[in-house]
Amino acid sequence: SLEDCPLDEDEDTFQGLGEEDEEIDQFNDDTFGSGAIDDDWQEAHERLAELEEKPPVAAGEQAGNGERDEMDLLGDHEENLAERLSKMVIENELEDPAIMRAVQTRPVLQPQPGSLNSSIWDGSEVLRRIRGPLLAQETPAVSVLEYALPQRAPQGPEDERDLSERALPRRSTSPVIGSPPVRAVPIGTPPKQVAVPNFSQQILCPKPVHVRPPMPPRYPAPYGERMSPDQLCRVPNSSLLGPPFPANTPPVLSPLQRAQLLGGAQLQPGRMSPSQFARVPGFVGSPLAAVNPKLLQGRVGQMLPPAPGFRAFFGAPPPATPPPQPHPPGPGPHLQTLRSQAPMFRADTTHLHPQHRRLLHQRQLQNRNQHRNLNGAGERGSHRSSHQDHLRKDPYANLMLQREKDWVSKIQMMQLQSTDPYLDDFYYQNYFEKLEKLSAAEEMQGDGPKKERTKLITPQVAKLEHAYKPVQFEGSLGKLTVSSVNNPRKMIDAVVTSRGEDDETKEKQVRDKRRKTLVIIEKTYSLLLDVEDYERRYLLSLEEERPALVDERKHKICGMYDNLRGKLPGRDRPSDEHFVQIMCIRKGKRMVARVLPFLSTEQAADILMATARNLPLLIKKDAQDEVLPCLLSPFSVLLYHLPSVTVTSLLQQLMNLPQSAAAPAPCNPHLTTVLQNKFGLSLLLTLLSRGEDLQRLEPAAEPAQSDQWTEVMFMATRELLRIPQAALAKPISAPANLVSLFSRYVDQQKLTLLETKLQLVQGIR
Amino acid sequence: MNYMPGTASLIEDIDKKHLVLLRDGRTLIGFLRSIDQFANLVLHQTVERIHVGKKYGDIPRGIFVVRGENVVLLGEIDLEKESDTPLQQVSIEEILEEQRVEQQTRLEAERLKVQALKDRGLSIPRADTLDEY
Repeated sequence: SLEDCPLDEDEDTFQGLGEEDEEIDQFNDDTFGSGAIDDDWQEAHERLAELEEKPPVAAGEQAGNGERDEMDLLGDHEENLAERLSKMVIENELEDPAIMRAVQTRPVLQPQPGSLNSSIWDGSEVLRRIRGPLLAQETPAVSVLEYALPQRAPQGPEDERDLSERALPRRSTSPVIGSPPVRAVPIGTPPKQVAVPNFSQQILCPKPVHVRPPMPPRYPAPYGERMSPDQLCRVPNSSLLGPPFPANTPPVLSPLQRAQLLGGAQLQPGRMSPSQFARVPGFVGSPLAAVNPKLLQGRVGQMLPPAPGFRAFFGAPPPATPPPQPHPPGPGPHLQTLRSQAPMFRADTTHLHPQHRRLLHQRQLQNRNQHRNLNGAGERGSHRSSHQDHLRKDPYANLMLQREKDWVSKIQMMQLQSTDPYLDDFYYQNYFEKLEKLSAAEEMQGDGPKKERTKLITPQVAKLEHAYKPVQFEGSLGKLTVSSVNNPRKMIDAVVTSRGEDDETKEKQVRDKRRKTLVIIEKTYSLLLDVEDYERRYLLSLEEERPALVDERKHKICGMYDNLRGKLPGRDRPSDEHFVQIMCIRKGKRMVARVLPFLSTEQAADILMATARNLPLLIKKDAQDEVLPCLLSPFSVLLYHLPSVTVTSLLQQLMNLPQSAAAPAPCNPHLTTVLQNKFGLSLLLTLLSRGEDLQRLEPAAEPAQSDQWTEVMFMATRELLRIPQAALAKPISAPANLVSLFSRYVDQQKLTLLETKLQLVQGIR
Repeated sequence: MNYMPGTASLIEDIDKKHLVLLRDGRTLIGFLRSIDQFANLVLHQTVERIHVGKKYGDIPRGIFVVRGENVVLLGEIDLEKESDTPLQQVSIEEILEEQRVEQQTRLEAERLKVQALKDRGLSIPRADTLDEY
């Protein structure tokens, strides 16, 4: 009855809650959510009402209200808690398959007043509270999970098995070994506050629940308190060893359920760690039923310090099927099983002190384990032995369980998932390719046994487009201002204003122009990188895709050329200005050098011509960067594809020769600049050389061409002779056939002059 | 078991003695017991080592839980080579005293420098008063 409730403050709180605004009640699970639909609470109340009629306990405060019960259950320090709780019996109508199977695999427990029954700890009401949200498959009004998961249709309770298959695509869950807590809410999201009662109704318990420290343990610790995790791992036949979930375990909760459960458990002051997680309904193989995680939370602190070494999975021999437990189970699941190990020890040692007995077995195990790699250390042989020695003596080793290590490892592997490894981790891929090639080459030579090089295989995941849908409440006005890593909040409302042309000063215009050029360079560079990448993609692609790839590539190349020359459809020949702008910038020059091989001959020739025309200006701008020489190589390659006509006109341009054979201008600063620059001079010489080659190779070419060439050469030599012997640059490469070239057009005396001037003779240089 | 070859993972470093340098300049030496995906560390039997010149002193600290973002670097200590050092271990009091003295001289030098600059009309803002970004 209500009056007998010892905790007045709880009563007040509870009534207070009831009397609060209607709004809170609107989101009450019982009224609107699963409680209403599943009708659980009514049945629960009926059952509890029946329980009230049962005799034993004097201070029986079985409240007719299930919710009250829960409060008392956890809120009471008193001794009669046990008696009250013992009336709560596990019900067969629990629908959670994990719990159901656990119930079926062991004999039904009779509630025994005064003794700690496992059933105490999984008060049906409490379990139902947890189970309710687990099984409520209808799409909740509020669901935190939805913003991490792809949308799913709501499913009925019978589909709960399906959930384990429809796990989050990216996360790996192992139903056998037991995964670390899978969070549908991304890791790093701050925990939900208890103070938001209407948030995630389906997930949290409908009311905040106190967690008080549980009763003092009424069981003797089967092992001395001081046992280290390392020692625990070596206990023979304990349920610590081997997989935590023996074979007859039903599939563990799906990630969805687990996340919900975890969400619920987050209410508690502590946090669930992976090692504790296993005790949640999944750990059913033990004779105990599913343990209330909330209650377990507090109890853990009183278990063996440190956090119980649940198992040393690695290298330990798998145990036999867990021994059947005829005796009344105690509270701690694994402690229980440990205690039950007593009968398993050898008969002749039964007279020994338990500690002594254990030590004997430990030593046995130690000898067995010596050959096993207990800690997963690396391949270092000699270190390993000393390390293992150290480990053996280290009582604190293996605090981090194998499962936890796997968990961290899994997370790290997840972070390595990539849809395009060459994009995400280019240098890594290239490095390992190189290594493999090296080792393959070595193997070819050595012909020895192939050395297996452990390679990290990163899973390649198809990219899933998750449209992030921010959390919304039904029926509420406005939107939540919750921001998380998936939904970042705008910090500043910056408005972009474009300035008018008039109020710009000249400097600003120049600056803007430069910026525009920089942007064009960047865009062209992106195109260039794509085009350069096509070869690799071509190799990786399928047959059908290839023509499309080729087209794409062509298109991009055209795009690049347009960018370089400036798209001005009106004119037949675009002005050089755009190109010169690009070429004034260091990055632009390098880019042109890289783009050139991809262009068609005419396009490239056009570029070369423009360069030659504007060379003095470019040289002047290049004074600081000195990047022009990088262009020489692609230009040279290009030259070898150019016909004679082009070469001729190029020469004209480069030397700024007058179109007609009229009297030349008194000075030719263009040429001077060109000659004084390394690139310019090298280009000139290469050009001349090419022209000479053409002349020699195609003597029977059109006479017009060759005449033109001769004419130009005459002018060229004249100019060269006229140029004062200023500080000429040192060319990058001096072609060999220049002497023969010049000898055709000038007499010996002048030839010598030319040679000296241009330093064509080897000796002078 | 070779965890994640070719990557940097702390899993194989567990239960080994490590030297950890923190962002605030402290040096911790302890057994690495547990990690997580953020490289948060649990160090056991930790000792904070203060170095001044050729001397060092160890302050036993117990169990440390270090948030991953505060770690500059960490490295395994070879137990065999650990004692093979030219450095001289001194008592805690002594090393703290040495540290204090060193700190004082440094501050004094800094003060003089700032004063000299101020006299010349220059000012270099101190690092801690600068905006981080």
